[in-house]
Amino acid sequence: MNGCENAIEYVYQYLDDELTVSRSARIKWHLKRCGHCTDAFTFETLLKERIAAGGKTAPPEELFDTLRALIEQERNTGDSDC
Amino acid sequence: MADQANFEQDAMQYASQLYSAALRMTRNPADAEDVVQETFLKAYRAYDSFTEGTNLKAWLYRILTNTYINKYRKKQRRPSEVELGELQDLYLYKRLGEHSGARESAEDEALDMFVDEDIIEALESLPENFRLPVLYADVEGFSYKEIAEILDVPIGTVMSRLHRGRKALQRKLWNVAVDHGLVESDE
Repeated sequence: MNGCENAIEYVYQYLDDELTVSRSARIKWHLKRCGHCTDAFTFETLLKERIAAGGKTAPPEELFDTLRALIEQERNTGDSDC
Repeated sequence: MADQANFEQDAMQYASQLYSAALRMTRNPADAEDVVQETFLKAYRAYDSFTEGTNLKAWLYRILTNTYINKYRKKQRRPSEVELGELQDLYLYKRLGEHSGARESAEDEALDMFVDEDIIEALESLPENFRLPVLYADVEGFSYKEIAEILDVPIGTVMSRLHRGRKALQRKLWNVAVDHGLVESDE
């Protein structure tokens, strides 16, 4: 397997920080010498960041109050059992 | 042993993220709120079985995932693995590259054309087996080991679902780009 194939095979594990130190170092070494793979890795990094940012949705404001009330109610129910 | 009296203080910081994940799972705000409420109730009741100092976020996500699966999975059709097919590595990058010709870094710029709704549409289109690992890795930032614990599957299963799920997500993003006229399809 050549350097490019090896790098692309492990691109996600590399970006996820899930490779052993030695395997990760080997890919880093390859990226320093290969513009094509560096471009691909940059794209995958940006895509991952885009998905992380775009995939989140803020809850409705009242969710926190609802959850607090729910726990409070449960706590009181528990107490009355004693 | 965690003290139940501290539950609210410890867990509330994760409520936003849990809601967001629940929304990607259920694809419906009312159902997402139900799942989060049930998760908090179960977690509160079980909090004295949680070992303090261990991974509270992952513990809450595990309860969230089980709550979702017990409540909603029955209703869903079984995802077909066949329909994902075998996709090439770096699918989106290559498609965008073919499309943009020789212009340098056009692929990176192309990511700016996606609005949040496109990302959400693509994530929510994934079959559940693939959607949850992708959601946990790419949106929530969990490690493979944490995802394996949350989903109660071996780490190898997490890796293969994540690998295929990400490819499917990239294909969907490409289709979204074509459907919304962001790129012209040459097929």
